[in-house]
Amino acid sequence: MKKILALSALLLGAAAVGPALAGPANNSLIVGTSQEPPNIYDPWVTNNLAITSEINNWMGAGLTGLDNDGKLYADMATTVPSVANGGYKIVKDAKGKVIRNSLTYTIRPDAKWSDGSQITVADFEFWLMVQNDDRVPVPDRYPYENAKITRGANNKTFTITFDPPYLFAEQAGAPGLAPSVSMKAAWTAFDTATKGQKPSDTVNEQWIKFLNQFTTSNNLPKVVAGPFKPTAWRPGNSLTMSRNTNYWRKPSGGESKYVQTVTYRFIPNTNTLKVNVLSGQVDALATVGLSFDQAIDLQRGQRKFTTSFVPGSVWEHIDINTRGQKAKDLELDNPNIRQALLYSIDRASLVKALFQGKQPVSNVFINPLATVYKKDVQAYAFDAAKAKALFAAAGWTPGSDGILQKGGKKFSLNFGTTAGNSVRERVQQILQAQWKAVGVQVNIQNYPASVFFGADFLSKGAEGKWDLAMYAWISNPIFEEGDLFKGSGVPTTENGYSGQNNSGWINADYDKLQLQARTEFDPAARNKLFDQMQSIWAKNVPSLPLYYRVNPYIQANGLANYDFSAYTLYPTWDAYRVGWTSKGAVSAHKQKE
Amino acid sequence: MATYALRRVLQMIPLLLLISLVIFGLTALQPGDPVDQLIFGNPRITPEDVARLREAYGLNIPWPQRYVSWLLRAFQGQFGYSRDFGIPATQFIFTQRLPNTLLLTIPALVISTLIAVPLGIYSAIRQYSVMDNILTFLSFVAFSAPVFWIGVMALYLFAVYLPQVTGGAIALPPGGLGNLSPDDGFWPYWLDRLKYLILPLSILMFREIAATSRFMRASFLEVIGQDFVRTARAKGLPNRSVIFKHALRNALIPIVTILGLSIPGLFGGAVLTETVFSWPGMGRALLDSLVSKDFNVVMLCLMLLAILTVVFQLLADLAYALVDPRIRYS
Repeated sequence: MKKILALSALLLGAAAVGPALAGPANNSLIVGTSQEPPNIYDPWVTNNLAITSEINNWMGAGLTGLDNDGKLYADMATTVPSVANGGYKIVKDAKGKVIRNSLTYTIRPDAKWSDGSQITVADFEFWLMVQNDDRVPVPDRYPYENAKITRGANNKTFTITFDPPYLFAEQAGAPGLAPSVSMKAAWTAFDTATKGQKPSDTVNEQWIKFLNQFTTSNNLPKVVAGPFKPTAWRPGNSLTMSRNTNYWRKPSGGESKYVQTVTYRFIPNTNTLKVNVLSGQVDALATVGLSFDQAIDLQRGQRKFTTSFVPGSVWEHIDINTRGQKAKDLELDNPNIRQALLYSIDRASLVKALFQGKQPVSNVFINPLATVYKKDVQAYAFDAAKAKALFAAAGWTPGSDGILQKGGKKFSLNFGTTAGNSVRERVQQILQAQWKAVGVQVNIQNYPASVFFGADFLSKGAEGKWDLAMYAWISNPIFEEGDLFKGSGVPTTENGYSGQNNSGWINADYDKLQLQARTEFDPAARNKLFDQMQSIWAKNVPSLPLYYRVNPYIQANGLANYDFSAYTLYPTWDAYRVGWTSKGAVSAHKQKE
Repeated sequence: MATYALRRVLQMIPLLLLISLVIFGLTALQPGDPVDQLIFGNPRITPEDVARLREAYGLNIPWPQRYVSWLLRAFQGQFGYSRDFGIPATQFIFTQRLPNTLLLTIPALVISTLIAVPLGIYSAIRQYSVMDNILTFLSFVAFSAPVFWIGVMALYLFAVYLPQVTGGAIALPPGGLGNLSPDDGFWPYWLDRLKYLILPLSILMFREIAATSRFMRASFLEVIGQDFVRTARAKGLPNRSVIFKHALRNALIPIVTILGLSIPGLFGGAVLTETVFSWPGMGRALLDSLVSKDFNVVMLCLMLLAILTVVFQLLADLAYALVDPRIRYS
């Protein structure tokens, strides 16, 4: 018993020693996140997790970048290539059709890797060569599969040419870069080991071995280009980065006035993440952190922290399955029936009740921030009478149980989403009640995300696996191509179920306009095409648009330049200027909501 | 006994092969694969990309063929790379996750046993006393309160509420492994780790103490009602001698068996405790790898647990024969 008492005394003694608090005291920043990146600073982005991109922003640098307003700024390049300064060129054929385009960059003379070596054209050439190597499992090679780099007068100038042309080259055509000198020996070893081989499990393992030497917790990146370099990664616990003094852009007043070290703490349970915020153990949260509900909860009565809800590019919607026998029986392939389903639900009240109006109602799949967004698209405000009239016009009338029926068939739909997502489950319940009021029976059938997004569910609408499916699409307002609803994007056996048009809606006019828009380089003409596409889409409602999600995140008061928009996506986009105002950091921009 | 042990060891081989086949099959047949996840997150992926990625990940090969290939490599000690973390699966498990888990589960088992056994004896000796009722009540609380709730409550109490009301005099970290690294010095590093260990260890022990003390209480009550204890008392032996020399040794036999069989569980980690307290151990490794289809890690984790389970079952059976003379293997 004495031993037990002694042990207890030891534990209490340790308990009395409180943990060190986060904050500006030592000019550091501690960020909490619920996810750990699989790897960091992988130049070929072979994993597409948001947390990886968010953390990579601290260590990465590009030729150009996008600011919170979607405007390009020069980072590693001396200037942003444009038509005006001759850096961006478009070549047209005799008929005026654009056949190729190109961007010419000059790398800043003081642009160096973190070890002090020069960043040169060779680093861009190496990146492009690996990106397009058949053995490398990058998710997709677009838009660089046919791109070519031509050296300029010296090793700091080059031109990248897209042939066929890349529509968004001016905004996003800058190639990536990888430290060619640092990676040379390892790449040669990979190249030798897999020479002449086709993609396979064994080639992939060699690739992982190569990448493993530069991107993992065991082998931190040897060199980086951005304002911070990794110093310690304790797997499952934390990742720490410190200032890279070789980074060329210097914040106002000098680097010493801005954060010197940044630590990400990996806290998988979001309730524990909340406790970390309340206890002051973290200064800020990553965008991969709290749910909307938790952020609302934390917003109440907090003086030390600011909770922001940033308009994002995530579109929450319900796909209507227009394929399969059941869809034909219930006439889900009839636009009037789909319109009736949309008229039946009161989205304005829903977003007010559930989200305090912070997540606005959407009427179309395109983000309002995109230049091609059509403001006056048909809105389908809640109108139960109109919905009933549309159903009645199609021959669907209420039976004795109040449920619509026609020819002995009941209008009964299976409504699925990702199980365990409490927000979506609440939305489902509200919509179920609203549809019931007009005679539509909705049965909720939810599935784990792995099943819902797996190979045997959403893409198998033709087999009648679902009727209504609620989920979200992430888009970037700059790169809108309208391809979510193109006919060739309907997942089928022929295309390996690779398309995203899960509702199965095909419209020849829409497809024609979408194809035209893909090669239309004139912004005004492109806007017109998108205007028509959105009108067609809104008339046909292949999906029920619900709302645009906002990204909640939290930061301690006094933290400067830690903010973002739907263009920059993460609060780390301007990493070199993140700092504490109490330490002299100058605020260059603030969070807009 | 040696023949029996050898026969059991030989029986383990087909058993483990069968287990590996079942685990591999179930893992391969679960819905979704890593390429599905890439397809869904990227509208630009073309059918050609899908075919190329399936080839790259070996997913175009039927799973029985993949199983044979995995088995042949496993026999050579090669368990492949973790797709999620880009390092060998063995390294991920044995150097990154298992040490954390053992640091949590071994002290939890040892300390909780040291506390639970005396509590169980006390409860049995003072059956239906006020203290026995209190201990029974606390055991039910420990069984009924889910870790994800009681864990978060404990975090809130010790990391938020108590630091506020005591001005920071009593404060514990809200989860994680610690702030320091071994480079900061031996004692500072381990004191820091201890600080972070207190809460998850306490929560894990709370349930372990409840379970073991209830087993001990039941076992002791059964033993003290038997004839040999009555005979010892009739001989006029002092109560202390009856309890500790006669009853206790017999009452401990089922406890030893239970503890022996729970040893493989130490390696499996405690997924809820690890998740709530941000403790990167085996439980989380297994759960995360299952969710993200990191097949090599899943296979290594589950096979490790399967091997430990069958080995410790054999050891428990052999130990039983050693402590109980009535059991003989021939």
